Amino acid sequence: MRIRGVSGSAAALCLAVLLAACSSGTSGSGGTTATQAAQTGPVTLDFWCWSAGQKEKVAAFNKAHPDIQVRHTDAGGGTDTATKLVTAGRAGNAPDAACLEYQTIPAMIVAGALADISAHTADVKDAFTPEVWSLTSFDGAVYGVPQDVGPMVMVYNRKRFDELKIEVPKTWQDFATVAAAVRAKDPDTYLATFAPAEFGNFAGLAQQAGATWWKVQDQTWTVGIADAASTEVAAYWQGLVDKDLVKVQPLLTPEWNNQLNKGRILSWPSALWATGVLYGVAEKQAGDWAIAPLPQWTEGDDRVAFQGGSAIAVTKNSKHLQAAATFAKWMNTDKAAYELQIAAGEYPASLAGQQATTASEPPKLAGGQKDYWEVAAKAAQRTIPHISWGPNVSTAQSAFQDAMAAAVRDKTPLTQALQKTQQVVVDDMTSTGFKVAAP
Amino acid sequence: MTEPIGARRGSRAPYLFVAPAVVLFVAFLAVPIGYAVYLSVRGLRLTGAGIFGTRQEVFVGLDNYARTLTDPEFWAGFGRLALYGLIGVPLTLGLALLFALLLDYAGARGRRFSRTAIFLPYAIPGVTASLLWGFMYLPSTSPFSYLTRELGLGEIPFLTGDGIYPALANVAVWGGVGFNMIIIFTSLRGIPSELSDAARIDGASEWRIAWHVKIPLVAPALVLTGLFALIGTLQVYGEPTTLAPMTTEISQTWVPLMHIYRDAFIRDDLPLASAASVILAVGTLIVSVVLLKVTQKRAFGGMS
Repeated sequence: MRIRGVSGSAAALCLAVLLAACSSGTSGSGGTTATQAAQTGPVTLDFWCWSAGQKEKVAAFNKAHPDIQVRHTDAGGGTDTATKLVTAGRAGNAPDAACLEYQTIPAMIVAGALADISAHTADVKDAFTPEVWSLTSFDGAVYGVPQDVGPMVMVYNRKRFDELKIEVPKTWQDFATVAAAVRAKDPDTYLATFAPAEFGNFAGLAQQAGATWWKVQDQTWTVGIADAASTEVAAYWQGLVDKDLVKVQPLLTPEWNNQLNKGRILSWPSALWATGVLYGVAEKQAGDWAIAPLPQWTEGDDRVAFQGGSAIAVTKNSKHLQAAATFAKWMNTDKAAYELQIAAGEYPASLAGQQATTASEPPKLAGGQKDYWEVAAKAAQRTIPHISWGPNVSTAQSAFQDAMAAAVRDKTPLTQALQKTQQVVVDDMTSTGFKVAAP
Repeated sequence: MTEPIGARRGSRAPYLFVAPAVVLFVAFLAVPIGYAVYLSVRGLRLTGAGIFGTRQEVFVGLDNYARTLTDPEFWAGFGRLALYGLIGVPLTLGLALLFALLLDYAGARGRRFSRTAIFLPYAIPGVTASLLWGFMYLPSTSPFSYLTRELGLGEIPFLTGDGIYPALANVAVWGGVGFNMIIIFTSLRGIPSELSDAARIDGASEWRIAWHVKIPLVAPALVLTGLFALIGTLQVYGEPTTLAPMTTEISQTWVPLMHIYRDAFIRDDLPLASAASVILAVGTLIVSVVLLKVTQKRAFGGMS
């Protein structure tokens, strides 16, 4: 379980966040807290979050807000926190605020766990790009303040790329060509891995190709996990797998780490947080790696999806809605908060936070790359609009993982695995009582 | 005068003495089991409130049972368990008996050391043992695969294809032999030495003594360890869960308990998981009772 936690929610564990300090936001929150203190005295909030740097941020918040004191608890990674929050909510003892991965938010709303804080967030909306803000707001209701994002990039071993004299692919067609070249030049080495368990990664690649996995209109859902774009992406990876151009293996196992350290796995098309994850398992390669824009389906495009990232949400259980909203806003837009966040190695969701990263050093793994933060900022600012997740993403994730693993093992088509996932998701939604339109 | 007092004391004291046990039983066993059964007839269904609707708990009758009983993946989990158990249980019991007999053999040397060495793996937590073996199975960290590779025989497919069954059973055997050996060994030490001596004077070899004297006398211990092993097999969860991230062979519903965990905590469907748990518990109970009935006559018949 522990290991699955690492690979499955690598995004969650490693990412981070925060951001945008706008002076209006700061003064606004100061005003509200003063009023509240006058009325009710200091309030105490409970807060669950797993990501790095939270302790320091919470301490800074408490120092700046004598009338709101926050108690921080690490309740486990993204998946665990979401599960526990639902259970605690039903029991009536959920914390006031909690970090949630973006893809779990619709499920939390359907579970009735989150409070709409749109009455308190008008002043911070512009601190984020509309693409990021739309990850936590639905039909005008706001269910959280974005904390960290994981725009997708290609993380690659630049030293080995140079040794093998290969170029960073700009399109997915190039990617296949380069993968073949790598196999020809060094038969022990693969350009990349195809890991059947990487649901979030595949979702991001499919979204980049134009897939919409969930859509809701008038409470009627459309599920597109096996839509044309997703099928095309699956067929593309099928080609690479069939020709043995990518290594088919779970990520971050002792086996994979060993190959990585031997320089036999050259890249990981994933998201910004991946440099931190890789540094954790391949410390010796510090400085060898770099990031580049993710390959595109059409040359000249620059849109990418997110993989991972989280927001701070306020729960329905909270008796201090306004104070909790103030906390969520401060944590994700105040200068002090995003500076601590960046120091902890995380990529803020707010524009000001992202701007602030450019003044900092690149992560150790990519220590030699001078334009690291520029590449990162470009990816962050050109993310796909209107990414939406469904009410049973965790069901989809587990169905996807089992179906993909079975397809790889039994050598059946990956596209069939997508159809199977789609079927499980639609059946699950239908039996819960959702209206699901035919695709 | 004395009689009423005695009667009063008699009526109260037993309840008082039994109260702690009853309270603990009710609070920590009966109530949770009752709650699981209650949950198993509930279900989370959508109501109209909220922008997407909200899931509420409602009564759904036997729907969860029907879904579980008609889920081929749930039954496939029992199939995999059977395969795993067929390899693991006889090996664990066989080796435990063998080691116990060897330790019991009068001429054995280094008895205390051997006993500790064989028992030691049982003291290693299951998760640690699984990780330890997992490293020894993965091609690039496995010492076994390293040897076969050097010998030109290729890698041993511990974690791919059907290799997963012996690989997992091996972890259980490694960890379980010591515990079962101690139970059987203790039982062997309880056999009066006159029996062995008499057989020896009659000219029986150590082998015949073991087969005709000792093993029949430790049959109750064998039944007990067999029952533990069977229940242990039905409850397998930790080993496959720990090894799952290292291989695509182990799905999230590989064994029934993993299936239950997934429904409860990944799909957020506690009622469905409760129904499957009830089915698993009842099934385990039935199998245990049947096993005891079948073996009772042979194991205990001569003694009672």
